Amino acid sequence: MTGIAKKGLYLLLAVAALSLCIAGTALADNEELIIAKSREALALDPQDITDTPSEEVNRAIYEGLVTFDDQLNIVPMLASSWTYTDDGLEWTFKLREGVKFHSGTPFNAEAVKVNFDRILNGKYKRTSLYQPVIDKVEVIDDNTVKFTLKESFGAFLNVLAHTAGLILDPSYVQDEAKNEAIKHKPSGTGPFMLDEWEQGDFIALKAYKDYWQGKPKLQRLVFRTIPEDSARAMMIETGEADIAQQIPPTDVERLLKNKKVDMKVLPSIVVQFIGINCQNDILKDPAVRLALAYSIDRQAICDKILMGYAEPVDSMVAPLVNGYSEVKGFTYDPEKARAILKEAGWVDTDKDGIREKDGKKLTVEFWTHGRDTLSLKVPQSVQAFANAVGFDCQMKVMDWGAFLSATGKGLEESTSQLMWLGWSPSTGDADWVYRPLVHSDYWQPAGPNRPFYKNNDVDEAIMVGFRSVDQEERKAAYKRAQEILSTELPWIPLYTRKTLHAFNAKLHGVEYLPLDFVVVTHESYKD
Amino acid sequence: MGRFIVRRLILAIPVLIGVSIIAFLILHLSPGDPAELLAGDEATQADIQMIREKFGLDQPLTTQYFRFIKGIATGELISMKYEVPVMEIVGKRLKNTLILSSVAIAISVIVGIMAGILSAVHRYSWIDYVATVVALLGVSMPVFWWGLLMILLFSVNLMWLPSGGMGGFRHMIMPAIALGTASAGIIARMTRSSMLDVLQQDYITTAVAKGLRQKLVVYRHALRNALIPTVTVIGLQFGYMLAGAVLTESVFSWPGIGRLIVDSIMGRDYPVVQTALLIIALIFVLANLVVDVLYALLDPRIRYND
Repeated sequence: MTGIAKKGLYLLLAVAALSLCIAGTALADNEELIIAKSREALALDPQDITDTPSEEVNRAIYEGLVTFDDQLNIVPMLASSWTYTDDGLEWTFKLREGVKFHSGTPFNAEAVKVNFDRILNGKYKRTSLYQPVIDKVEVIDDNTVKFTLKESFGAFLNVLAHTAGLILDPSYVQDEAKNEAIKHKPSGTGPFMLDEWEQGDFIALKAYKDYWQGKPKLQRLVFRTIPEDSARAMMIETGEADIAQQIPPTDVERLLKNKKVDMKVLPSIVVQFIGINCQNDILKDPAVRLALAYSIDRQAICDKILMGYAEPVDSMVAPLVNGYSEVKGFTYDPEKARAILKEAGWVDTDKDGIREKDGKKLTVEFWTHGRDTLSLKVPQSVQAFANAVGFDCQMKVMDWGAFLSATGKGLEESTSQLMWLGWSPSTGDADWVYRPLVHSDYWQPAGPNRPFYKNNDVDEAIMVGFRSVDQEERKAAYKRAQEILSTELPWIPLYTRKTLHAFNAKLHGVEYLPLDFVVVTHESYKD
Repeated sequence: MGRFIVRRLILAIPVLIGVSIIAFLILHLSPGDPAELLAGDEATQADIQMIREKFGLDQPLTTQYFRFIKGIATGELISMKYEVPVMEIVGKRLKNTLILSSVAIAISVIVGIMAGILSAVHRYSWIDYVATVVALLGVSMPVFWWGLLMILLFSVNLMWLPSGGMGGFRHMIMPAIALGTASAGIIARMTRSSMLDVLQQDYITTAVAKGLRQKLVVYRHALRNALIPTVTVIGLQFGYMLAGAVLTESVFSWPGIGRLIVDSIMGRDYPVVQTALLIIALIFVLANLVVDVLYALLDPRIRYND
């Protein structure tokens, strides 16, 4: 072997030896909890974020007046109790005493007022959540605060439990420079406070020792961004992560067999839909939409493509959402789909497998995006099911930005037909499904009613649900709306998928909210 | 030489202006609105309009372009997604990728040149065949597959090395090898063929006939000349690594510039994409300049007099 080759080889061997010398098992100690997330959090200002990863981190730093439990019921947090007037217009909250922000500033009624004045009068991404609802916030005494609403709102507590309702430190909000920097230098009342942030890599939080419910058992909480699915799954096996989120279904079986890993199959409230443009020439006939629904074998999609980690749904809201009612849906029945199309006048006269009516073929374009593999695989199967009954369904794949832009156009410009969309009501309430998705005030571009659907009875039922503070009355109203929607189908609900998170088996006391949040509390610990 | 370098640097200016205009136009003319993406899918029209106004997206394209140039010059350009100065985030990520690419290129240069020389000197022997097969494997293996295989072996099974993230020398070993493997293969093949060319030239025969030791002939007389095409390849490979490390960065969760660019394109974070592309173009220009200067150092016949 020649000299330079030898030198090179020695150099490589030296590198290898050095790496082995300093190598060791990469296990985190039991005071630190590492969460591997697929997407990174962008900002730590709860009033100015819209992405789920940011919401999750914000919930470890801040707390709201009320919050959700694991069944999405509303439970007290910084407010210990509340009352409301019969007309639902005035809500009075009794606040906890002895709570302090990370800066040492006391939490009180003034802090609540400062927060809601900030979002109501400011220009934040979540201003539109509260501005149409809250008229004013008043300090009654140091520990009592009153909200006056513009009109009664049945989902008010759910909207307060939303991430945007988390309470920021008033001493930061009132200081212009600190308020400006709050999304990178936060202060809340939560069990953890910001320690270190390497954008694109990790956010590390440290225990807040004066936390009002007691000193957190964990000293450090780290959210790492691991975009690659397989890499996250492997990190839980190597012990480099204590929670690996969004495990791909293909890795679940392997992790279920690993005794060091607690592989959890958790409920979610995300419902996946086919949105249908109800103003389109072909699709404005409800019979065509119904035929499309009957042509799709949703159970097969759940079993084969999602490997059993999803369930077909008949309602536009998932069962855990407040206001859900069971309604009769549709089943897989291609014969019925064919019969409906035939009755509607769509017949395959030229025997090319595609139906026609008045010289026009039953050609529909199905728009999807490539954000994840499911958004390609499921539309492909829908395409095959639809074509089997005489549609000529053509897929068009766009990137997420282009997709949002194309489906977000107003009626005059819109050329959409079928759209692949998912929805998760971030308030945990049916109001934030039906109102934005089907109420006629929310037609694109004003809101996300992408199908341009309008039905006066549905609009009216939605507004009964919006205004009533009687939960039974609300539920009945949403059931009425859903029964109409199940026959008119502006959105075909396909399934609600399970959330697949892998936990370190030594981890205890970590909660999961079906809004897709993992909640690490002061009581969470590792053996 | 000095004048040559200055002239090349001046020539880089129109290149960079061209890159900035093309990057700006491609981004702004492709479908997708950053305000819609930032506002989320629950947003109302008012939310989207508020974001458009905040980042000046409602302004004419020319105004937006000159604002971008001014922002670059003053360092005041802000990322729409992170809302921090672009230079801060691009600088940090670029540093991470530079660290990774430097180690990767070092590994590929050492391994590639070593394998190339061995192959050429021992032409058609088993050493040559093994080196050729390994080099071809290195070039052909998809980086995400090779990276995941290494993670499975060294992180999951043997638990020797961390599976990803930044944190120290141990974190760098696998991503650097994954990133450098293909380049090592290319450099090995290039070194082999140019060494073979050089070894067959008359002055080498003369050197051998004079009774010089093989080591001296190979390294003093042959290698230096054979390295000229190899250096070109190394320069280009380094440029590709900077911009094309995205797969390695994803598999090993390395927060580098490649991932930043892809995420920013997906999120339509115009200022970040435009700045990052501009900086990468500058690095390409500089890397090529360094290669040209190295030619002169390696081959005394090459001189840049004008």
